[in-house]
Amino acid sequence: MRKFLLFLFAFVLLASVAYASPVKLVVVGDAGHNLKPFEWYAKDLKEKFDVELEVIGVPFGELYEKEKVELIAGTGAFDIMIVFPKFLAEFAANGWLYPLDEFVAKLDPKLDDVTPGYRDFYCKYGGKLYALPYDGDVLSLYYRKDLLENEEERKAFKEKYGYDLKVPETWDEYLDVAEFFTRKAGEKLAGEVLQRDFYGTAYYGQKDQIFAWWGNIFASLGGVYFDEETMEPAINSEAGVKALEIMKEIHKYCPPDVLAYGYEELKDVFLNGDCFMVIQWPCVGKKGADPAQSKIVGKIGVSHVPGVKKDGEIYYRAMMPCGRVLAIAAQSKDPWKAYQVIHYLSVVTSLDDVSTPETGLDPYRYSHFAHPEAYEMFANVEDAKIYLAGVQKNMEKGYPEMVLPGTVEYEETLGVALTKALTGELDPKSALDEAAQAWRDILERFGKEQQKALYQELVKGWKAVGLW
Amino acid sequence: MGGLRKRDWWMVFLFVLPVVVILLAISIFPMVYSFYLSLCKWDIGMGGQRTFIGAGNYLRLFSDARFFNSLKNTGRVLLFGVGTQFALGLSLALLLNRSFRGRSLVVTLFLLPMMISPVVVGCIWKIIYHYQYGPLNYLLNLLGIRSVNWLGSGSISPYSIVLADIWEWTPFMVITLLAGLQAIPDDLYEAARVDGANRWQIFSGVVFPLLRPVVIIAILIRVMDAFKIFDLVVLLTMGGPGQASESVAFYNYLTGFKYFSMGYASAMSYVQLAVIVAIANVFLRSFKGRAVV
Repeated sequence: MRKFLLFLFAFVLLASVAYASPVKLVVVGDAGHNLKPFEWYAKDLKEKFDVELEVIGVPFGELYEKEKVELIAGTGAFDIMIVFPKFLAEFAANGWLYPLDEFVAKLDPKLDDVTPGYRDFYCKYGGKLYALPYDGDVLSLYYRKDLLENEEERKAFKEKYGYDLKVPETWDEYLDVAEFFTRKAGEKLAGEVLQRDFYGTAYYGQKDQIFAWWGNIFASLGGVYFDEETMEPAINSEAGVKALEIMKEIHKYCPPDVLAYGYEELKDVFLNGDCFMVIQWPCVGKKGADPAQSKIVGKIGVSHVPGVKKDGEIYYRAMMPCGRVLAIAAQSKDPWKAYQVIHYLSVVTSLDDVSTPETGLDPYRYSHFAHPEAYEMFANVEDAKIYLAGVQKNMEKGYPEMVLPGTVEYEETLGVALTKALTGELDPKSALDEAAQAWRDILERFGKEQQKALYQELVKGWKAVGLW
Repeated sequence: MGGLRKRDWWMVFLFVLPVVVILLAISIFPMVYSFYLSLCKWDIGMGGQRTFIGAGNYLRLFSDARFFNSLKNTGRVLLFGVGTQFALGLSLALLLNRSFRGRSLVVTLFLLPMMISPVVVGCIWKIIYHYQYGPLNYLLNLLGIRSVNWLGSGSISPYSIVLADIWEWTPFMVITLLAGLQAIPDDLYEAARVDGANRWQIFSGVVFPLLRPVVIIAILIRVMDAFKIFDLVVLLTMGGPGQASESVAFYNYLTGFKYFSMGYASAMSYVQLAVIVAIANVFLRSFKGRAVV
């Protein structure tokens, strides 16, 4: 009897300990600065929601496959997932994500405060909400305003090109400015002898994201991904070829190893002061204002990406690649607690997280743009306002990333083709024809009719919010 | 064995059973299943259905230019990488096969690259190869040579991978061949010297024939390993620019775990297996036919 009571006591004790233990939620995302908020608020989250987080970081370029393998196998390895919208649709369509609509009434994610692109296309699939926004990515133009304002440089530019040196607004101007500022070591820049080569510009050259840098040009020339009616790939259209020809020209004024550039290299070449201008994600602007990360603090200007002149007006479109969102795995141990966590990060702490140079997270809520004083890395509120206005200018003319199932493969095969043209292996038309053929194959594999219906739905939505 | 009773047979069966089950589960079943997959079209992007297509994936491989490009890059690693590793490894092993002060320290230092984790090796070489800030280009500049675009050029990046692979794996050749050299009895050298053989004659007539089995095994191990080169590709170039430096193993990974075309990836694996088995056979035949020891 005594033994039985002892056993019962031990059982009750263990059960109560287990019951009282916080729920352990596993978070997965691309390793590095964008997982920091999960670490910063771990204590708060434990106190508020009784959850303990285990954070798993995987390389940026491998997030898709790491998440998908676990989801296919149904291991239940993850509860909260940082997802790029380009694979959200695929995950949601396969039933691997937990729909969040049931939680919205209980805990408002304040979606009205989110800019339309991120709210309607990056978080939803088939009319259902599957994620909350976390990162408002849009490409913007960053340039060295100190060099642009230098009298000596301005004079030399006007002599060479016959017009005043200014922030490039068209791709032709972009090429002129890039050419002008490309200098060899030993030459002078703003009156000082260069110790190493200085480049006019640079771009993201690795095959996973290079499409977006070509896409800025392609979109400004009126390019679209597919013909809506036939689903024939339109990347090898006249706009596509012209965009690639312009990109080949831009390539001449870039560091020789630019095709090996990912996010870090592109950020560093600019913030180390080795390059006049880059088109980059918004976080580069705020990191550029942080002396710990930048050698050009106070010297950075921001503007919209260049475009083309039509009827006296500049028509530009800024690609919106990446744009992390927070989703919950369908097999999560506790979807409600997971929702509370992602809600906390997307709503409660989001302004703090997007306004610090410690993360690569960028503004995506109207309230993020309404509080320039929060961006304390800038010398003053006026500078923060200029930064936010520049980002917003691009966001208003944002060109959404395709979010069809298979987008990862569409983008990478396009990236391979673009590289072939940039290295001279193929001419632009042949390279894009090759990519278009690869896209047709992917379409067939993912089901052309299904893809067509989804694409038409997407375009309809993009048009409704003025992004198409 | 013939005298075993029925009960003893059961005991034998019971003892062997766990091994058989484990072998079937972790080795035989995946082999059979993946071969079956290689005969199917199975794209699991959208939970696609598995369809039997016979040799369809194998036929697709033979018209896939990207696969042949990756095969060519892997061939470069085998030819230039393993070839150089062998040449350097043998030279260094011959140098180290004599006694001198600090020999143990030198041997240990030579082994360091092999002891470092491949991920760290990749990171180290990524820094070394940096166009603007890398020490390699800095040294070249000091010698009056222009900076080399190690990772951003489609024609150079495959060789950059080969160079890093040589640095990492030459020590393996050194240590294996050195062990082989030390197993050769001293009296054979003495007998050759007594017979009036010069250094080259000793090497070509005595040392190399006796070393041949070790050479074959060392090259075979490296060839099999280099055929699967993946880590350096991922860390240095991600197969880029574009697909310029993709190896077969990397392309296979992309097909299976990025594009999730499981049937096609399985077929690619089997072609890789066939190639490596053919290479291994060539080496092993030469081992059988010409071994001296």
